[in-house]
Amino acid sequence: MSKFTKAFLFASIIFAPFAANAVTVASWGGAYTESQKKAYADTYSDPGSIVFENYNGGLGETRAQVESGNVTWDLVDVLPADAITGCDEGLFEDISSEIASMGVPGPDGESIAEDMEANGLNYHSGWDCCVPQIFWTYVVFYDPDAFPGEKPDSMADFFDVEKFPGKRGIHTWADGIIQKALVADGVAPNAVPTVFANQTGAIDRAFEVMDKIKDHVVFWSAGSQPLELVKSGEVVMAVAYNGRVGAANLAEGENFEYIWEGQVLDQEYLCLTTGAPNREAALDFMMHASSPASQAEQAKYITYGPMRASGIPIIEANEPWGPGGVDIMPHMPNTPERLKVSIVNDPQWWSDNGAEISERYSAWMGN
Amino acid sequence: MTIWFRPVIQASLQIFNMNNPSQSFVKFEKIDKSYDGEVLVVKNLNLDIAKGEFVTMLGPSGSGKTTTLMMLAGFETPTNGEIFLDTKPISKIPPYEREIGMVFQNYALFPHMTVEENLSFPLEVRKIPKPETKEKVQKALDMVELGNFGTRFPAQLSGGQQQRVALARALVFEPRLVLMDEPLGALDKNLREQMQYEIKHIHDRIGITVVYVTHDQSEALTMSNRIAVFNDGVVQQLSTPDILYEKPENSFVAKFIGENNTLNGVVADVNGDTCTVELDNGFGKVKALKVNVNDKGDKTQLSIRPERVTIDSTNPESNNFEGKIQELIYLGDHIRARLNVCGNDEFIVKVPNEGSFSHKEGDLLNLSWNPDDVRALDI
Amino acid sequence: MPIGDMLFRSVDDSQINGVFPNTFNEYKKWDKEKDELPPEEVYKALFEELAYGEKIQIGRALTRMNYSKSGWKSLIKTTSREIKKAVKKDELPNNYKEFLITANEKWADPTFWYAMGQMVNDATPIYYWNALDRTYDQDQNVVMQDEKRRIYIKTWIKTLKISVYVTIFCLILGFPVAHLLANLPLRYSNLLMIFVLLPFWTSLLVRTTAWIVMLQQNGVINGILVWLGILSDDGRLQLVYNETGTLIAMTQILLPFMILPLYSVMRVIPKSHMRAAQNLGAKPATAFWKVYLPQTIPGMSAGGLLVFVLAIGYFITPELVGGKDGKLIGHWIAYHLKTTLNWGLCAALGAILLGVMLIFYWLYNKIVGIDNIKLG
Repeated sequence: MSKFTKAFLFASIIFAPFAANAVTVASWGGAYTESQKKAYADTYSDPGSIVFENYNGGLGETRAQVESGNVTWDLVDVLPADAITGCDEGLFEDISSEIASMGVPGPDGESIAEDMEANGLNYHSGWDCCVPQIFWTYVVFYDPDAFPGEKPDSMADFFDVEKFPGKRGIHTWADGIIQKALVADGVAPNAVPTVFANQTGAIDRAFEVMDKIKDHVVFWSAGSQPLELVKSGEVVMAVAYNGRVGAANLAEGENFEYIWEGQVLDQEYLCLTTGAPNREAALDFMMHASSPASQAEQAKYITYGPMRASGIPIIEANEPWGPGGVDIMPHMPNTPERLKVSIVNDPQWWSDNGAEISERYSAWMGN
Repeated sequence: MTIWFRPVIQASLQIFNMNNPSQSFVKFEKIDKSYDGEVLVVKNLNLDIAKGEFVTMLGPSGSGKTTTLMMLAGFETPTNGEIFLDTKPISKIPPYEREIGMVFQNYALFPHMTVEENLSFPLEVRKIPKPETKEKVQKALDMVELGNFGTRFPAQLSGGQQQRVALARALVFEPRLVLMDEPLGALDKNLREQMQYEIKHIHDRIGITVVYVTHDQSEALTMSNRIAVFNDGVVQQLSTPDILYEKPENSFVAKFIGENNTLNGVVADVNGDTCTVELDNGFGKVKALKVNVNDKGDKTQLSIRPERVTIDSTNPESNNFEGKIQELIYLGDHIRARLNVCGNDEFIVKVPNEGSFSHKEGDLLNLSWNPDDVRALDI
Repeated sequence: MPIGDMLFRSVDDSQINGVFPNTFNEYKKWDKEKDELPPEEVYKALFEELAYGEKIQIGRALTRMNYSKSGWKSLIKTTSREIKKAVKKDELPNNYKEFLITANEKWADPTFWYAMGQMVNDATPIYYWNALDRTYDQDQNVVMQDEKRRIYIKTWIKTLKISVYVTIFCLILGFPVAHLLANLPLRYSNLLMIFVLLPFWTSLLVRTTAWIVMLQQNGVINGILVWLGILSDDGRLQLVYNETGTLIAMTQILLPFMILPLYSVMRVIPKSHMRAAQNLGAKPATAFWKVYLPQTIPGMSAGGLLVFVLAIGYFITPELVGGKDGKLIGHWIAYHLKTTLNWGLCAALGAILLGVMLIFYWLYNKIVGIDNIKLG
């Protein structure tokens, strides 16, 4: 017997209790996956039947699994553009009827789709294969100590290095920042996606706005970096994932301020892989994970907001909802008044234009 | 077994006056060497080597002989003392300016260069013109009978051929002196013996001064004009091969050079150059040459060469003892007998094969040896 | 096999040709000089193939179509919806062209039709052209990509440049370290070896983060330089989030790959060689240059080739410490593999990368000789 076979046998004995019919969920890892484990798996009827695996996003692995017929991931946690492409390509199974019949309704009987629409979202084909999870946002934050006098509070301030001198931390890909640029240029946040979709030259306009701060930018590429940049004083303001800023404020005693205006709300979905080995169990877990209660529960562990509108009242009614008796709502991106100044990302438009914009953005960055 | 008889004759033909330092070409004067500042690996070394001489430093490993060689080559610096080459102190001269050739233990041929390039190397760094270089290289190769091997790489040569290239390279730039650090250690026995003669012949032919290091006594005896026997950082005896063999001045040399029988005892009486030794455990008295003992009562070790012991012939002038045969080994020209003599179980006697030897193991033999062949040494 | 698969994918366009065979057939008959828009037959074939085609196959074709021009996805999807409605009601149009243009006005936009020209053959070099910032114009002549999107040639040059620099820096820094390793007494060299290998046991992210802490403007190195008065407080150096950071971090991370082969070669060079050279009359510098250095060439070659090949495909570290200059070619391969699913372009980039490595390998073989390589 070869060493490999032995190791394999050994591994199967060790992992047998879990591996047998365990639902495998591919997710992003880190604090985010931890919050999913606590909010979804630990509250599930059979927590031991859920196994999380880390991946780095994108549909590459999923497509490879489905194409080769060797599917190991039952569920994949994806961004909305990937939900759409995956559903269109048949990488994810169309379960629209199951979602309609099995989805956990809200307190007033709202369906999953109705709940999402109440949060300002529009139907896209990702909804046929996936259930909603959380809103996360690209938000600008700063250390108030860096601004002894007037403090920045708008996108116009973020893009104005004369009024607020200092470097800005921005991510090395396009989607959040080019939308914020339009807000700085006077477009109402809610109108940004429409302007991009319908006005020729809107992209050029955004790049022109970004040109103004280009020489004052430090580009980051990992979610932890903007926090480090602001803490170390390398930059005075940075775009970051709001969950990271929330964690710094709640768990590390930081006192960062958010600029909610122009925050880019993006969605997160859990999708069923075509040919998932544990399809039935996975479906059941999806419904549990997308219930308003589960979504509100997740906010305890990470400051991302429920994509189902009926999750918010659960948090509000039970404050302090956060760990150690802190209020969570000040850190939630999708309160009604914050939604008014937010950009809701249009995944359909991004799945059409993402690749081209990403090339343009890189060309812009490198020049 | 008999290899040291040849050089005994050869070496005794050469006569050098070593007591006159003005004639010495290489001179070690009161050299100490310590690597760590505490332990001396070479202690108060004084050594003179004449021009054209072939001197070997012989000794067990760790005895300081290689260190001495390296100090001469310039790779080690003496802790105290000075080395003179042609009357000039050389301690401050770096190795590359000493004009001393050297053959290294594993030849140190440069593997990325052909044989020719290896030989040209010392000439090139001396900026010798190309045609002259070529000529000298060819001459050197011819000398070691490798004239047609110039374009090969060292790895394409046999061990013996590599050795010759190393030798040629050490000589090609006409150094003042050649050092050899166990140059034959990596060769098998036959080749080694052949190379010993070749090196010897080259030395005879070109008359260059050679300082040779080896731990192999037969090699030293074969090749050298003089041998410095090293032990524990000190030269135990410096002499021609025959003297070393016939007249060792201490028990280390007696044991290290050739085969040697020992008997321990106490000096009972001294009479000029001779003495009488009372053997331990009451085995009797032995008349011996007083070599390395001073007075009555000194402990001593007697040294007797196996071939100087005769059997079955009693002579009142000689020392006469009995020995019990432990083992007999037939070796053609002689029979090697291991006996128990005066309590020493390892007493060797060589009986010339004259066809009349008929004793068996266990028999008692009458032995005798001349007092001139017994040397009372230190213990 | 995987290489064969990659090369195949880099030119393969058969999936979409299986979805729209008739449309593409009719498309090829279109005389672009004569008619601004394709003839009715093209519209009809497209209508039918969208109406009766398999949803998932169309979905995959959509991903492909979008590479040729942004907007294909939503164009086809909105059109499909209208077509499905019509077919359901059994109301087949009399004029397909008119129907489609009513469904989505973009069908009257010739640029979409021109873009379709990129996909109508089973095998296509378009991905290779894309990988070199080129695309087709309406007549399928190869032209430069829109200036604002040209990134690949720049990235190729940047990647090669950084790889060459990193290799040189690794050689310069690795040579003395390997030499020490090979020549120090055992107890010191063992300790040094642990320092050399330590980075292997530290996670990539930890090491990268450590470099950021060291190099950032308020970081250790700038701090020391300001404290020493070498820099003024507002003259702090930008050492990270740019190419400098990439070079420093990659050099450190790849250094062991240079040191180890060098060390294994140096270890077996007898110390007597340097002595022999000096004994033969060469000054230490000459001895090093003529005798020692040539013997380390196999190690330098192995280390250099190893570092270069690793560097050319690196992307995680450069992204983290490189800021705006951090996207090397490996980043784009990963990006197209995972995010855009443009596996054709991904494969073309990979094939070019392979080609570049083969060219270097060939050059190397010409100059040094491949038999001269030695890993220990």
